[in-house]
Amino acid sequence: MSPLPNHLRELRREAGARHTTAPASIPWAPMPSPSLPAHLQRLLQLRTHRSGTLGTPPSTDREVPGEEIAPGLHYTEAWMDWPPPAASIDARFARVGEPVARAHLLHFDTETTGLAGGTGTRAFMIGAADWIDSRLRVRQLTITSMAAETTMLRMFAGWLHTQSVLVSYNGKSYDAPLLATRYRLARLPNPLIGLRHLDLLHPVRRHWKGVWANCRLATAEHRLLGVVREDDLPGAQAPAAWLHYLRGGSAANLRRVLQHNAQDLKSLAGILACLAGMDDRAG
Amino acid sequence: MNALPDRFRPEGASLSPPGDGRILAERLSRRYAARITGSIVMPATTGSYVPLPDNLPPVLAAALRQRGITRLYSHQAEAWAASQAREHVAIVTPTASGKTLCYTLPVLAAALQERAKALYLFPTKALAQDQLAELLELNAAGQLGVKAFTFDGDTPGDARQAVRVHGDIVISNPDMLHQAILPHHTKWAQFFESLRYVVIDEVHSYRGVFGSHVANVIRRLQRVCAFYGVSPQFILCSATIGNPRGHAEALIERPVHCITASGAPSGERHVLLWNPPVVNADLGLRASARSQTNRIARLAIKSGLKTLVFASSRTLVEVLTKYLKDVFDHDPRKLPRIRAYRGGYLPRERRAAERDMRAGHVDGIVSTSALELGVDIGALDVVVLNGYPGSVAGTWQRLGRAGRRQRAALGVLVASSDPLDQYLVRHPEFFRDATPEHARIAPDQALILLDHIRCAAFELPFGDGENFGPVDAVPWLEVLAGEGVLHREGERWEWIADSYPAGAVSLRSVADGNFVVVDRSAGRQNIIAEVDFTAAAVTLYEGAIHMVQSVPYQVERLDWEGRKAYVTRTHVDYYTDAIDYSRLKVLDCFDHAACGAGQAGHGEVHVVRHVAGYKKIRYYTHENIGYGPVNLPDQELHTTAVWWQLPQVLLDAVFADRQQTLDGFMGAASALHLVATVTVMAESRDLQKSVGSSDGAWFASTNPRGHSRVHGSDDGQRATPGAEPAFTPTVYLYDAFPGGVGLSAPLFDRRDELLARALELVQGCDCRGGCPACVGPVLAMDEGATHTPKMLALQVLNLLAHG
Ligand SMILES: [Zn+2]
Repeated sequence: MSPLPNHLRELRREAGARHTTAPASIPWAPMPSPSLPAHLQRLLQLRTHRSGTLGTPPSTDREVPGEEIAPGLHYTEAWMDWPPPAASIDARFARVGEPVARAHLLHFDTETTGLAGGTGTRAFMIGAADWIDSRLRVRQLTITSMAAETTMLRMFAGWLHTQSVLVSYNGKSYDAPLLATRYRLARLPNPLIGLRHLDLLHPVRRHWKGVWANCRLATAEHRLLGVVREDDLPGAQAPAAWLHYLRGGSAANLRRVLQHNAQDLKSLAGILACLAGMDDRAG
Repeated sequence: MNALPDRFRPEGASLSPPGDGRILAERLSRRYAARITGSIVMPATTGSYVPLPDNLPPVLAAALRQRGITRLYSHQAEAWAASQAREHVAIVTPTASGKTLCYTLPVLAAALQERAKALYLFPTKALAQDQLAELLELNAAGQLGVKAFTFDGDTPGDARQAVRVHGDIVISNPDMLHQAILPHHTKWAQFFESLRYVVIDEVHSYRGVFGSHVANVIRRLQRVCAFYGVSPQFILCSATIGNPRGHAEALIERPVHCITASGAPSGERHVLLWNPPVVNADLGLRASARSQTNRIARLAIKSGLKTLVFASSRTLVEVLTKYLKDVFDHDPRKLPRIRAYRGGYLPRERRAAERDMRAGHVDGIVSTSALELGVDIGALDVVVLNGYPGSVAGTWQRLGRAGRRQRAALGVLVASSDPLDQYLVRHPEFFRDATPEHARIAPDQALILLDHIRCAAFELPFGDGENFGPVDAVPWLEVLAGEGVLHREGERWEWIADSYPAGAVSLRSVADGNFVVVDRSAGRQNIIAEVDFTAAAVTLYEGAIHMVQSVPYQVERLDWEGRKAYVTRTHVDYYTDAIDYSRLKVLDCFDHAACGAGQAGHGEVHVVRHVAGYKKIRYYTHENIGYGPVNLPDQELHTTAVWWQLPQVLLDAVFADRQQTLDGFMGAASALHLVATVTVMAESRDLQKSVGSSDGAWFASTNPRGHSRVHGSDDGQRATPGAEPAFTPTVYLYDAFPGGVGLSAPLFDRRDELLARALELVQGCDCRGGCPACVGPVLAMDEGATHTPKMLALQVLNLLAHG
């Protein structure tokens, strides 16, 4: 570790900071350091610069599923047999008066670097599912470099058209604002603006809040669809799985994130089919 | 407003007819000549007016006329012209000189003509509310249709979206900008894209640690603005400080057009410096400031003068209010003539109080500093300060509350027994001649800078070669990558952690180790204060009497790891003082210079601070009435210091023994510390003093009996200082924050001035052999002692000043 980090750590300890060491597993990539301004060198007693240490050695298991359609952007596509809803869906359960055409549905779900919010959280995976005839098509975009984010956002925008009806679970509060931020930072127009959006969390809450232990997607899919996930990577571990890969680690958990995301999309489509036709009892 | 209602007509023969500040000043000066240590008169000035500028939008000009404004003061016109020339502007004019209009005009003009947006930053929510009210009035008068909203912690979640999208003027504060707006700037994209003006009022309050943080928040703001392709103009306002342009330019890191000449008329103004009379000559005890303040306020109100009293704490406000009400409000059928005004009231109560005051229903207001800034309460004749507010600039800001165009105003500063008060009240030249203090910031302070580069990297990725302010960011980005919060890819540094860094950065401290003070009185669990980590060991040890807004609490338990101190309300008659030993070692001397027969230096030091126990000291008499033990870890600090030392040979020749030498150095350190605090506008706890040898081999402390003694680096105590082989005593003044916040460099630059002032302070002190106001607490002085602490300190200071 170079003298600057050490010195800063010391100052922070003196200032009372309690957590001043970096997480042990995170590698620190050193590079030649331009010299600090003279007064800081004096203050920080920086006389020499020494290379830092590297963390975990690179893994050989680096296989990310799908096709690398652009540098750092992986695309997967799968077709699933899954009970489809009617071609025209009664959406009153979601307080939408007009019926919605099944062909316009786009179920989507992002996997992100965390829950902290603000401009520092990004989606590293966007999954979308739609009905082609009566089969469910699941498409997923995964980035393995930061630079590929803009291409991913452009690609996802291309999947949407003015007729699209978004389907999500808590997407109105979480995924859509997060993507809005990412489009803004990438200086791209936000393709989600103006689209109808069925956020299934709200009708599920209206029907089963207080009935089930909670209204999480895992509960809803289990209760409504009988889904039991095996070897599912909990959503909370997705950020670490991606970060680990990004820093040269194994892709094993990243592949599990893809599976988890695909199951979320399937469940979204299944829950929508269950809800379709139910009226808005609570409303 | 000047006509007095009947009931205020003087009733007794002893009262003169309705007077003004001058008549009262003359009466007080005649009757209490011995208490008045200084008297300043500032003649009335006439206003300097100009017509409304031609290039003002017609609707705006019409709105002004509607409000009765048909011409501008010259400084308002100058601010308008400079803003139209696209300059950044700083306006430094006295209280009530119409500085608000200096920014309101360009902001409203831009909103009307280009739908351009403005961000206002005020240090407090109350001021933001006042601004909003004023804007809405002008807006309504001219039916301008400009939308102004406040955005602060009280803004409900569902209203925030409306503020972001529809606000032409958003009124907020630096903390909200730092924690809520910048980290979510994409939600504010429309606002930023049209942002034309950033107005920052009360910039004199952004100094020291807080100011250093705010300067970095402004760097982040400018960076986010650049992302949206805008480069807003800054309009800054400040109360009088010694370096308005320098301070404004340090905050925004851009050249500014500085306007210091006020075109507002002002009435004649009298200022009296008042030292309570000595009531016990043996103990050097003076009457309380409170009794004097009460007497002056009573006389002023009886003379029919609208009077404002400033007191330092809520308790004092309540006490003084009661005293005055006992005299003026004994008839419950009449409207109250006396009102208290302090923090902790509900906004509604505050509004009502302000309205009553503006309407002239109130004759006497007793307030904490909650009223200090900007709040409009109408014209006043007399301001009485119960105690020195801590800075010359702050004193003038408060005194500036009194003033009418037609009548002379009076301000009275009543000194408390605090050494700083006593020093200042005996030095009227500080108020008369000296320029007010300089506001200083150190935006490149290592820890503060690192915190804000972290926040900035969260807001927008850094690119190689990108500066943060003037600082090359890359070495800091490397540190953050080492922490694991940034990921470097190609030439970009991207945020990668699942955290919200602004949430962990308080703009009022260095690093995140603040202690909270939890009041457990009567089963409560209220957080009543926060204390900086660096100050915790000397103020929050178990048994300490901890003052919160002058209310004493006793620390019952200190949870060091949990950073909590549990206190209860107490009514003891003593305060506590930590017995702490600081050992300093000079790591790097940045600069040194000859200084009399010795040498002065400035550089980086390593400080180890050990709190061994505490003393209980009785109020007023300063009697030591007991001790308590303290068991806390040592505090380490790398910081910067300024120091003075004298050669051993000389000291051995001048002083009878090394004990005396050391006592002289301790006294000199106290005097230097006091004058240095005044000189650099520091809080006295932000600047610390110590006496020891420059290599850290030994250091001195004052023992409970008032004698200095020496400790070796092994912490073992030695009975006599003479045992040290190399005896080079050194006085240090050091910056109390890790890494320093830039206090010591200006002290080194002004070292000669400091010595001269310290010498004059000790020489001029009324005491016989030394007292807390000059050489520090002297507890056990022998009658007829020949070598008093005062004399020894004078010897040291003389050797440093003159050789
Ligand atoms: Zn004295």
